[in-house]
Amino acid sequence: MKRALLLGMLLVGSTASAGDVVKDVRARLADVPLLRGDFEQKKTVSGFKKPLVSRGAFLLSREQGVLWDTREPFASTLTLTRKSLSAEQGTGAAAYHLDASKEPGLAAVNEVMFALLSGDVAALSKRFRVEGELVGTAGWKLTLTPTDAGLARVFKSIHLEGDTYVRQVKLDEARGDTSVIQFDKLSQTPPPSDAEARRLAK
Amino acid sequence: MRNKAAILWLLVVLAVGAHQVQFWRSARLDTDVLALLPEDEQAPEVDAATRKLADQAGRELVLLVGAPDWESAQRAADLVTAELSKDASLLKPSALDASSLDAALELYRPYRDRLLTPAQRTWLSRATAEELGGTALMKLYQPAGPRLTDWEADPLGLWPDWWAARASESTARPRDGRLWLSGEGREWVLLAWHSQVSAFALGADGNITTVVDRARAAVTSQVPGGRLVAAGVPLYAEAAASQASDEMSTIGIGSLVAVLLLVWLTFRSVRPIVLVGVSLGIGCAVAMSVTALVFERVHLLTLVFGSSLVGVAEDYGFHYFAARQGKPPSERGPLMRSLLPGMVLALLTSVVAYLALGVAPFPGLRQMALFSATGLVGAFLTVACWFPTLDTGALPETAFARRFATSLSRWPRFASNRAWWGGTAALILFIIGGLWRLQTRDDLRQLQSAPAHLISDQRELGRLLGLPSPAQFFLVGGQDEEQVLAREAALKARLDSLVTDKFLVGYRAVSDWLPSAEQQRADAKLSASAEAQAVAAVAQATGEAPTRARFADDVLTPERLLASPASAAIRQQWLGRLGEKHFSIVMLRGLTDPSMLPRLADTAEGLEGVRWVDKTQEISKLLERYRRLMGGLILLGYVAVLLLLVARFRRQAWRAWLPTVVGTLVTLAVFGWVGEPLQLFSVLGLMLLLGMGVDYGIFMLEHPGEGSAWLAVALAGVSTLLSFGLLGLSATPALRSFGLTMLLGEVTIWLLTPCCRLPPGKDVS
Repeated sequence: MKRALLLGMLLVGSTASAGDVVKDVRARLADVPLLRGDFEQKKTVSGFKKPLVSRGAFLLSREQGVLWDTREPFASTLTLTRKSLSAEQGTGAAAYHLDASKEPGLAAVNEVMFALLSGDVAALSKRFRVEGELVGTAGWKLTLTPTDAGLARVFKSIHLEGDTYVRQVKLDEARGDTSVIQFDKLSQTPPPSDAEARRLAK
Repeated sequence: MRNKAAILWLLVVLAVGAHQVQFWRSARLDTDVLALLPEDEQAPEVDAATRKLADQAGRELVLLVGAPDWESAQRAADLVTAELSKDASLLKPSALDASSLDAALELYRPYRDRLLTPAQRTWLSRATAEELGGTALMKLYQPAGPRLTDWEADPLGLWPDWWAARASESTARPRDGRLWLSGEGREWVLLAWHSQVSAFALGADGNITTVVDRARAAVTSQVPGGRLVAAGVPLYAEAAASQASDEMSTIGIGSLVAVLLLVWLTFRSVRPIVLVGVSLGIGCAVAMSVTALVFERVHLLTLVFGSSLVGVAEDYGFHYFAARQGKPPSERGPLMRSLLPGMVLALLTSVVAYLALGVAPFPGLRQMALFSATGLVGAFLTVACWFPTLDTGALPETAFARRFATSLSRWPRFASNRAWWGGTAALILFIIGGLWRLQTRDDLRQLQSAPAHLISDQRELGRLLGLPSPAQFFLVGGQDEEQVLAREAALKARLDSLVTDKFLVGYRAVSDWLPSAEQQRADAKLSASAEAQAVAAVAQATGEAPTRARFADDVLTPERLLASPASAAIRQQWLGRLGEKHFSIVMLRGLTDPSMLPRLADTAEGLEGVRWVDKTQEISKLLERYRRLMGGLILLGYVAVLLLLVARFRRQAWRAWLPTVVGTLVTLAVFGWVGEPLQLFSVLGLMLLLGMGVDYGIFMLEHPGEGSAWLAVALAGVSTLLSFGLLGLSATPALRSFGLTMLLGEVTIWLLTPCCRLPPGKDVS
């Protein structure tokens, strides 16, 4: 009986502290309706000896979606909205388009992508177990483990680091591949250009 | 001699009693409407298909729990799950979860290269090397796409698309570890349970229904805007069982009370009540035992119909006591001998009429026929073998019986005068007018009487889930499995254009999950060449040497697929070998309107081995065919009965025959005037009417001028009327029209028979 009580208190204690960390992390993050900046992605994929490195710029609009424009090693654009995903090579040689209404998995992927880039901890904790710690006076780290069977088929775990903004995302995929994405030159201005607004409206 | 028969019958009765005890302990009752229908000898594969689809669904309970938002829908689903899991011996959750999907992923993984959607097939065959390379590169560098394999095993990211196409067969999607769908203003959680109870015994008071009702109450009271929609064969079966139970008690107990009350009124003695009661009890027990021994499972409707036996089998006891009243006990032996010829003839016509019901190869009707015929024989043998031995005391004539017996002389008798001929002419006009207006209807729905809320829940569930129709489908046959799958592909090509036209929502075919070997080989070749180009382009762009993964050497065969738990989705549609050929079922989604059926029937036109099956229509045709057949048999029956009567009564035979003919015509005319359509089951009622209606005439002719025969006929008529009148209250349309037919016909015959009696002082010779 005593042990059960102790165990119960431990459980209550630990969830309370996890909840506190999440709350603290949210307090340190800026609430941004719009974020733009540069990214560098290093992807380790089985079958490739060296990491696949790509660089480019991104734009995140919380209401509308994500533009992910790669400049190196080749030019391509990726547009991810609540309704669809479309990608196009800079040369125009190849393009593909997925409709969220026909690809039900896409909606979930979009939601996770939005949440990861904007550091929406509340949305993430619906699909992941969130553990974390505060670093220094302004920084924080979070580890996410999927609780949803569908996501667990894709991700083993996700690590986020940042301060006012998310600075680094590390994705451990279920099949062993990993991606590390670093963000740089983050800013909340300028607003989307006409061309960007058109893409986001798709 | 008489005692020997009595002892012999006692032994039989004891054996029946022993069997009854065993039967009621482990009663296996059938509630499935299809079990009543005959096998279609012309197309056994259609039957096999329907039965397989029905078996699969036999124990499944499907529930949708909805609320205005996803959070409360999940809360509502937890409430329902809590209620349903309270009794683990009743319901168990079905595996709809991730584990079955994981099993499927592992089964299909080695064959990934030969599983393409039609759109992918088109794209791969026309894409340039540059396009293939570019697509592969973009997908490789794309931040975290949903991938199910290593990059090398699917460089173009084709597999998730194939799975998405498979998932589109249902509107439900995984979300937060549940199956979710959105529709009609609510978010829903899909739950599936299966019943742990295999058969439905009478008196089991709807256990699953009760649990589901409790769950529904919890949802509506605790979740604002919450709603539970439930459907499944177990719910229908429980509703049918409880309804049958109710009807059996109404009909059985109602007629029994009426019969015994009549006996008490007439004879004012306990002995006749006990003996008539015993003959009825034994009759029913014999009927039940023989039916249970001949048929593996007794159908509920047989028992409901069989309850009306009480009002028919009492005839023999009534006759005996009506004749026995007021006579000294010493005369009972000779008395029984004098009654026997009439009783045997009456028994014979009734048994023949009941057995004629069994001419149609409807298993349900055969059960009813056998049940009633053996019940009559049982009751008759009890009267013939036991009554003279057991009925020892005096039985004085009562005032009621005397008054009633003498009433015969005051009953009108047909005479050749203006009033009678005028009445006859009016009756003929009435009959012709009614027959002119008579309509027919042959419809499966006459056999069903499911409560309206179950039917509306079923419809709502089918609409929300986009379930395929179990009654209309394509049956695809071929020499071997490969040919079946190839022919499915030809049919699917036509169905695809109906889907593009938004005429159909979709379809569900085995070949979606298992393409033909030829298709698999072609797709493997196509993907190998396209992916080789993609891998080469990626190698050039990255300066590395990635390779394409190897896949299985052989194709995915039906044996491999069916051996895996992953085949659950298509197992019910794969009929396998039936006779010389192999068969599969292609099911359709979004069949909402009967007006769509002709166009679908046309779709199968010209496709070898593809047959359109509209089970509802086929059953209607079958019912129509048998309505006509039985109608013809009735005409023959009238001739046969007339010959039988002429053999015994010579020129007076018409007196027993005519009332029944008029009774039949009047019944049909009334149906015509009130707009009740003629259907197989009313025709069957007419068949029975023929067998029983002439009984009254036979008794009156056998014992002319005897008040006792009239008394017996009157009593028998009243109790028969009551039994079938009560059957007319049944919620099952088939039984109701049967009961109505008998009720109308019997009343007419009962009123007319004494009008056709012999003139006073004359007898048959």
